[in-house]
Amino acid sequence: MAIEVRIPTILRTYTDGAKSVEGTGGSLSELIDDLEGNHPGIKGRLVEDKDGSVDLRRFVNVYVNDEDVRFIGGLEAPLSDGDQVVVLPAVAGG
Amino acid sequence: MTRFDSLLASVGGTPLVGLPRLSPGRQPDGTDVRLWAKLEDRNPTGSIKDRPALRMIEQAEADGTLRPGCTILEPTSGNTGISLAMAAKLKGYRIVCVMPENTSEERRQLLRMWGAEIVSSPAAGGSNEAVRVAKQVAGEHPDWVMLYQYGNEANALAHQETTGPELLADLPTITHFVAGLGTTGTLMGVSRFFREARPDVKIVAAEPRYGELVYGLRNLDEGFVPELYDAALIDSRFSVGPRDAVRRVRELLELEGIFAGISTGAILHAALGQAAKAVKAGESADIAFVVCDGGWKYLSTGAYEGTVDEAEDRLDGQLWA
Repeated sequence: MAIEVRIPTILRTYTDGAKSVEGTGGSLSELIDDLEGNHPGIKGRLVEDKDGSVDLRRFVNVYVNDEDVRFIGGLEAPLSDGDQVVVLPAVAGG
Repeated sequence: MTRFDSLLASVGGTPLVGLPRLSPGRQPDGTDVRLWAKLEDRNPTGSIKDRPALRMIEQAEADGTLRPGCTILEPTSGNTGISLAMAAKLKGYRIVCVMPENTSEERRQLLRMWGAEIVSSPAAGGSNEAVRVAKQVAGEHPDWVMLYQYGNEANALAHQETTGPELLADLPTITHFVAGLGTTGTLMGVSRFFREARPDVKIVAAEPRYGELVYGLRNLDEGFVPELYDAALIDSRFSVGPRDAVRRVRELLELEGIFAGISTGAILHAALGQAAKAVKAGESADIAFVVCDGGWKYLSTGAYEGTVDEAEDRLDGQLWA
């Protein structure tokens, strides 16, 4: 079993229009590397290099089983088969 | 105290009620896990936003930016606009609200009733677009006063000064606070209060996850994070979709008799998640969460009738929180 990754509309140009793709990896950063292999270019839209360290882009939110990864280890957040990863742009509420 | 000099003076002081049927309750090992609902629908215009709206207006009056005859401008998906309109009416200000067109008709009618003028922003992009349009309108009318709930410290201060202290007074054993993440004002303010008064209290955010239309098609670099947001003040953050929100908001009515708005369903979902975690860990917990508003304004969305599948379909593309 792999990890299901839900792709937002804006990034589906990298997935041939697919709303969801599968990937593998023991952490979010490994998953993103795996996705980059099958969908070249997507990594650069999710992460950026800031002062020598790689981090999620400011307006990209990633959730593992509905929990925001920034609170469970960020790019090092552990993943297991069967997890669901959702990528969403940051939006306003209120 | 139940007597007030005016409606504005009656903002806040809302009841905190236990949920004996939805709470896991007393466990075989002797621990107790309880849920508590802070009924913010009991505020004058029926939502939690009365607190920050009044606080932002009073702050702007105090520092001289808001003077008699001024026009207030605000991007809002509804509740903040309604609260500001009520306060503006009583204080004699004109108010213009920028609101996404995919918000419920009830919210628009209420805004008009309280005397607000509405400028519609495109549905695609949700509140991000309302913020963008409001900033544009502000540029065209430099004399108008944009209180700007997303970046106004008085928004968070309202909760630091009132919501937080009320919770601690009513529930000294509080272990978790769960609220919705929109402007982030409630979470930031309540968290600042507890980080000082009771740093062990876990602060949990529930963020509504909308249909695809709301996230728009624009570049990811044009996303939006409210200026008020400080991630260090939150312990965990969950994304809750319409299906879970609808399911929970119906349970709240069915089991506890509380008729709440859809966003409260999302918050309850996250609160129940914390409750389950506490039970699993064998720890007692007193989890307080916010009932942001009543369900009245969302009846036309179709969230309360038919199957959950049908309700989920109807909410697709709507700004339901």
